[in-house]
Amino acid sequence: MSRHSLNVRGRKVAVLEAGQGDPLVYLHGFADVHGVAAEFQPFHRHLSEHARVVAPAHPGCAGSDELEDGCSIDDVVFHYLEVLDALGLKYFDLVGHCVGGWIAAELAVRHPERIVRLVLIGACGLFVSGEPIGDVFMHAQPERGTDYQSLRAVLFSAAEAPVARRFFPDGRGDIDEEVRRYQMLRFGSFVGFKPPYFYSRALRGRLHRASMPASVVWGEDDRMVPRAHGEAYVAGLPNARAFGLVKATGHAAPLEQPQITADVVRRFLHETRTQGVPHGTADVAAASNP
Amino acid sequence: MSKPVALYCWHFMAYPHLPADFDEKYDTGWVTVPNKLWDAEKSRGLYQQYIDQLTYASELGFDGMVLNEHHQNIYGLMPSPNLIAAALSQKTKRGKIVILGNLLPLHLSPLRIAEEYAMLDNMSDGRLIAGFAPGSGPETFNYDVPSASSREQFWEAVDLIRRAWTEDGPFSFEGRYYPLRYVNPWPRPTQRPYPPIWIPGSRSRETLVEIAKRGYCYFLSSRSHGKETAKSQQQFANILEHHGDHYQPFRMGILMSAYVGETDAQAQAEAKEGVWYFLKNCLKGHLRREGRQLTFGPGIPYIPSDEFRNYLKFSDPSSPLLGDAENWDDLQQSASIIVGSPETAYRRIMDILEHAKVGHLLIQFHMGNMADALTRKSMYLFATEVAPRLRAESARLFAREFPDMERQLTPELAK
Repeated sequence: MSRHSLNVRGRKVAVLEAGQGDPLVYLHGFADVHGVAAEFQPFHRHLSEHARVVAPAHPGCAGSDELEDGCSIDDVVFHYLEVLDALGLKYFDLVGHCVGGWIAAELAVRHPERIVRLVLIGACGLFVSGEPIGDVFMHAQPERGTDYQSLRAVLFSAAEAPVARRFFPDGRGDIDEEVRRYQMLRFGSFVGFKPPYFYSRALRGRLHRASMPASVVWGEDDRMVPRAHGEAYVAGLPNARAFGLVKATGHAAPLEQPQITADVVRRFLHETRTQGVPHGTADVAAASNP
Repeated sequence: MSKPVALYCWHFMAYPHLPADFDEKYDTGWVTVPNKLWDAEKSRGLYQQYIDQLTYASELGFDGMVLNEHHQNIYGLMPSPNLIAAALSQKTKRGKIVILGNLLPLHLSPLRIAEEYAMLDNMSDGRLIAGFAPGSGPETFNYDVPSASSREQFWEAVDLIRRAWTEDGPFSFEGRYYPLRYVNPWPRPTQRPYPPIWIPGSRSRETLVEIAKRGYCYFLSSRSHGKETAKSQQQFANILEHHGDHYQPFRMGILMSAYVGETDAQAQAEAKEGVWYFLKNCLKGHLRREGRQLTFGPGIPYIPSDEFRNYLKFSDPSSPLLGDAENWDDLQQSASIIVGSPETAYRRIMDILEHAKVGHLLIQFHMGNMADALTRKSMYLFATEVAPRLRAESARLFAREFPDMERQLTPELAK
């Protein structure tokens, strides 16, 4: 694993990288690398066995600077276009989890020609009537001073699971970890607090533009982004594979079942590999992408 | 002789008819407290009773009446303090009407606040003190105000309102949040150049700097007054100096609660029900560890992350909050709710004043479900037996500590 930072128009962007092969850009969520963990977790390491995983931290998170001139979803999408240019990535696989999945979907409908394959894991971003996205901000307010049981219950299949307690413990935790959690919430507040709450009503009508092979992966018991949102992505993405449900996990499927979740993603990437699509820094004009 | 401390009567207008087992059954008095608990029949006349208590404060010679804005809670039934202020403007002839304040990011346009405050200033013949606040935790949930950007949005709104009051219209306002092509409010305020502006803050340095830059008054929104209050006063004074300004007591106000009875024992016996209703019910979700606290924390990420890091470093999550008090001794420690004889109240408030050196003392008399007759008796004893001594002694204190104050007071502040 290597850690470096980019300078994107004067803003610092922290990036973690691991593995070799075709570039896979990973956009993180709350219970995730950068969102709480400083390092790649087993899920990311599994992915990096067959790909070059590049994971930038969202603005304001884990060593990245905040965006000073607005931080709406559109601002963040344009920020990432500049990050991808700075990374020299023209074509790449794109995997996003939670809020990272929303950003990935917004990138995919705007620049389908650059994204070879798209993977959304527990992605917010869509409006689904009667299936509200969980109020992570309310649950991030501890009970009895420092009790995060209800936050863990929204993010994980079981509030008392060891991995849930590892990253969201009760009491005053590791300060760096608490600050990363705070930074992720602050980023989330900028990008997704105001109604619409972590979604854009326009996104669903634009999904038809994202015609690359896509995989939608969901924790079986996701209480943060209800499964109906995954089903809506499958229905809207023209080239989406069957829904990949990961058993015995909640919203934080990559943390809870890293091997199984990574296998679902890797199988999809393997099965769609033969299409001869370009990766990396190849010239746009030479692309045979649809 | 110097100008004495200004004494205000603050009414929060709590909901007083909760069931006796409320604390057992409900995890908060804020945001999600089910409104089926509202008893329409028992609540008839409630606002009238509260407005009459404030009117009585004016008659007793308090320097002003204080209102503020809360939503979806049992702590304060004033989603629109401006409605109560309008009533007070007609029922009272003297005393400031302090609205502390309108929560600007919750309103569609700050222009509406500029207009309503200007109306109130005219309706009260120039008695308005205009408070502006960004809202704290509960409001971000109540009105889905994104807390991370609400500060910036707030100061833009404040600046727009002041310009609307002071610059000749129509002019256009090139704001990020509130771009307006025609700013030209009718009426304009009675007070020139504009009504005094107070901004509440809870020790955030950023807030103090913004207040200092603009020359406004700072209201420390803490309910407890130990050495932290003196520290805040000193911090504000330092920041003012840094901005070429000087601290004097009428640049700052604090909140406390009081119940005055004939003796300490009688005061405790009479205040007990209301005080404990307030601590256990009204503060649940706000200043109690029990339940879910919605006032401050990681889910309300409005402060920059380095400030949050400092908070984590220097705060102790296990230290009790005001509502965690279990008995009168605990309560005594917090220097927040003063219950006692006129002599006790005088001594304890004077003690706070000597440390805090603030000129505006905002005192809550009605607490929780306190009976009307007791509330009025406490206000009367305070006004007749405590206030005169506080005024005399505070004038001596300020003359001693701030010999240059009279010269520094702007004509508006000196009034």
